[in-house]
Amino acid sequence: MHWLSKRKYKIGLLIPTLLVYSVFIVIPIIIAVGYSFTKYSGIGKARFYGLSNYIRLFSDKVFWISLKNTMIIFVLAFVLLLTISFLVALLLNNRLAGADFSKALVFSPAIIAPIIVGIIWVYILDPNIGIINNVLDAIGASSLKHKWIGGEVFSPYSIAVIYFWQQLGYLVTIFIAGLKMIPGDVLEAAQIDGASGVQKVRYVIIPMMRTTISTVSVLIITGVFKIFEIVQQTTGGGPNHLSETLVTYSYSMTFSSSDYGYGMSLATFTFILSLVITGIYSRITREKEA
Amino acid sequence: MKSKSMKKFLSLILSSTMVIGMLSGCGGNEAADVSKDESGATVVKFGIHVANPKEQEVVTYNIVQAFNEKYDGKYKIEFEASDKEAHSKNMKLEASDGTLPQIFWLDASEAPEYSDSGILLDLTDFLNENTEIKDALGGMETAFQDDNGQYGLPYQCNVQGIFYNKELFDQANVEYPTNDTTYEEFIEMIGKLKESGVTPLSIGSKNSSYAMWEFNESLARYGWEENINGILDGEKKFNNPDLTACFEKLQGIAEAGAFPENMATIEYFDAKQLFDEGKAAMFGTGQWDCAEFDENIGENIGFWWGPKFTDSSYEQDIAMKVPSAPIVVNAEVADNDAMKEAVYEFLKFYYGEEAAEISYEGSIFPATNYSDVSATESQYSMNAMLEALGTGWTTPQSAPDLTVTSAVQEALYNSMFGVMQGTYEPSEALDKMDEALSYSK
Repeated sequence: MHWLSKRKYKIGLLIPTLLVYSVFIVIPIIIAVGYSFTKYSGIGKARFYGLSNYIRLFSDKVFWISLKNTMIIFVLAFVLLLTISFLVALLLNNRLAGADFSKALVFSPAIIAPIIVGIIWVYILDPNIGIINNVLDAIGASSLKHKWIGGEVFSPYSIAVIYFWQQLGYLVTIFIAGLKMIPGDVLEAAQIDGASGVQKVRYVIIPMMRTTISTVSVLIITGVFKIFEIVQQTTGGGPNHLSETLVTYSYSMTFSSSDYGYGMSLATFTFILSLVITGIYSRITREKEA
Repeated sequence: MKSKSMKKFLSLILSSTMVIGMLSGCGGNEAADVSKDESGATVVKFGIHVANPKEQEVVTYNIVQAFNEKYDGKYKIEFEASDKEAHSKNMKLEASDGTLPQIFWLDASEAPEYSDSGILLDLTDFLNENTEIKDALGGMETAFQDDNGQYGLPYQCNVQGIFYNKELFDQANVEYPTNDTTYEEFIEMIGKLKESGVTPLSIGSKNSSYAMWEFNESLARYGWEENINGILDGEKKFNNPDLTACFEKLQGIAEAGAFPENMATIEYFDAKQLFDEGKAAMFGTGQWDCAEFDENIGENIGFWWGPKFTDSSYEQDIAMKVPSAPIVVNAEVADNDAMKEAVYEFLKFYYGEEAAEISYEGSIFPATNYSDVSATESQYSMNAMLEALGTGWTTPQSAPDLTVTSAVQEALYNSMFGVMQGTYEPSEALDKMDEALSYSK
């Protein structure tokens, strides 16, 4: 196996990946950033526009609404997904009756296409035809009815809940895989030392699962900044862009308004924001580990 | 050794890049290349804005089939089909890499930009060579002219307004609307229909804010056509007393409870379904839905242009009969005589009398007008429209929403739905349009 570690072989093996990564990831990002400094309708030639798109960004009310919505979804999804998926994984990792069935049940939303997830939740949350408001009507609690989607307030919260529902099973599976990696004798030793269940989690499991927790956290952060189909299917970003996220607003400006330059400045901002948040998170966790 | 490896590495990267570059360059000037099918027929690609023309654009599909049959072995039209949004994206991408189809449908707000880029063939010669078609178009082609010439021809003729279900009006004991029904009477009508338990006017904004055809008439009755050039030139603003009054009426209609409560979470198709199922009394749309209404509502269908506004000084006798989006021809077609001949033959057929007959059979108004073709008795919706058109009212050169660029058009839709949904005040909504216009310059 020694020969594989030679520099020229390493390079040779990396080339296909680097090529694909460059052509489909790096170059499109560079092109998108380039377009963010232009005025371009998608037809003809792009015109250099300096920083105008970025200046417009900060005076655009819809941009701030979409940023606020994205951050609401991010905070809610991060807190709920990280804690609950970990707790569910702890529960399902025990040899309980029906654990395998429960695992399959929890994982099932993750295999449904996001666009279908959106359709399912429309039938739950829609103010007129949705199950929630109809049940509230049926039990005489009409005062609790709200526009869960399509109103001015609840849409981002509803989207966070839908995203949580969709992602839970996937993240639980990662956590379970992490839990399986913990050597049984370590947990046994903790038990012999008299550690309670909570103490085992606090002092043994969590420290030994730092890498898994970091991976899940990064997946949540990057995932939130990619939520698209759920918003399109439930609200289409409406009413009046009030439920837009950064990604859907970027899409709307690029393809509905044919304002490619401005759309790309939104995309660039979103890209940088997700990089910054991931970077901050990595730094914090690295410092803790150190 | 290290430097040798690096050289090899760089050579490999460069040669790979060159291969990719060469492959991507293969797509240039495709429209001028004549492709033949197995029978030797020249194949012409027709880019259309629906994913399944056979189901979603039945008339166009039938016209194409009739053409292919007539010119079997000589010319053949093949669809390049995708839904409207994907079609718009595809055309832009194909325009940038030179792989546009020979003929394609374009949104009217985007077509002028294509024309400015020199991508479209000037069809002036075609019309001059085929004067009977020019006569049959009756001036409708002027909507798609600019300094570059005749950059497109109307795909169809759009007649837009409000369809209503007479049965639901009878049940609510409400008089049918007439050509003289005013806004104030319309508001009363909405109240009575709502009391009867139906949605007065069905509409949905989710992913379909373009579905505001019934309000094009309102915009026209508040002087859109008279003022739009001044607004686009910067001499006037969208936020002016006329359009403010128009948007206030929209607000009034919304406050009267005309629309479904969940209009923000339903699409145009859901809204239409409410009307089809007899849950909504009125629905704003155009002639493309006639066949569906004949099937679902039958002889109970009525058609109305919308309310007249007593506070407007502009012409109120307006019939919203306008050219729909254009079909255009790729400029590269001119580089090959065989391809140009095939494309022109298709256009001659598409705008000919036989195609007009097929259109009427499918309850679609063709862009052309031939005196011998008309609707049959069982085409209730189309006959209702023809009756409304019988007044001989003036028609605008173009539907208001098709007179502006995509960005302003999007802002117009967003502003109108904002007022209807109560998220914008009329003045605020119009400011949004002015803002969009300023950014689009």
